Amino acid sequence: MILEFLNMGGYGLYIWLSYAFAALSLISLYYVSVKKLNSIKNIEHLYRSEKVKEVSASAQVSKF
Amino acid sequence: MFGIFKPRTFFNLANTSIFWLKIVLVFALIVGLILALVLSPIDYLQKDTVRIMYVHVPSSWISLFIFLIIGTSSFISLIFKLRVFSVYAKSLAPIGLVFSLISVVTGSLWGYPTWGTFWSWDGRLTSMFVLVLTYILYVSLWSFIKNYNSAEKITNIVGIVGLINIPIIKFSVEWWNTLHQPASITLTAAPTIHSSMLAPLLIMFFSFCILSLIIFLIRYKYEIINFRVNKK
Repeated sequence: MILEFLNMGGYGLYIWLSYAFAALSLISLYYVSVKKLNSIKNIEHLYRSEKVKEVSASAQVSKF
Repeated sequence: MFGIFKPRTFFNLANTSIFWLKIVLVFALIVGLILALVLSPIDYLQKDTVRIMYVHVPSSWISLFIFLIIGTSSFISLIFKLRVFSVYAKSLAPIGLVFSLISVVTGSLWGYPTWGTFWSWDGRLTSMFVLVLTYILYVSLWSFIKNYNSAEKITNIVGIVGLINIPIIKFSVEWWNTLHQPASITLTAAPTIHSSMLAPLLIMFFSFCILSLIIFLIRYKYEIINFRVNKK
């Protein structure tokens, strides 16, 4: 029964290739997008922490 | 007038809605795939190959619709100098590119068992191929031009010029003799396909729309943060 389902009346190769191509393309696009966002979030975090350091350093300087 | 398109509004929307959109996507995809691959009937002429339609047609619709948004956003960005619209277009372009590629590849895989050939340079297939090339050009220009203002201007022009191809794709099956069948679903007339096939088609379309929205929101967040970081 499973083989019959996979065979899809003799057209299984074309049908499964279509679905596999769509799934792989969309999963790759999602993965790349999330990866890009996470990488830039880290950079933004670094920038923020540097900004905080700058602010706290300038605050200390102004104390003196 | 364009207040609702403010970056902050979309940024907040992205933060709050992605989780719920993912839940909706999982449910819609499960239902859509079960209907498309198991429960929908076979076509009397095309047999089981009709199941490729549930991926091919929604992908084609979305790739056309996204380019329509890109073209419109490019026009607004160029005329009204509203940068946020070019950010929308830039975030959407890779999604449109992937869906147009899916449309061409699955169409080709559907064509071989039904037409006896993977490809034919007829009106519909050629105009769809031009859309893929336009997407590739649009995405490449953003990647290769380092100056943001220049990239924005040139891609806006590509987006507007590319709009010409959209009606050509839509009406190619009416204007020329093609292997491709005419549209079964239009906005102006009742669909000519049976409800047992229409239901999985619409559910798969809905799933792809949700997935596109999720990826768009992620890419939009990336573009906004990237812009902010580069500005510093």
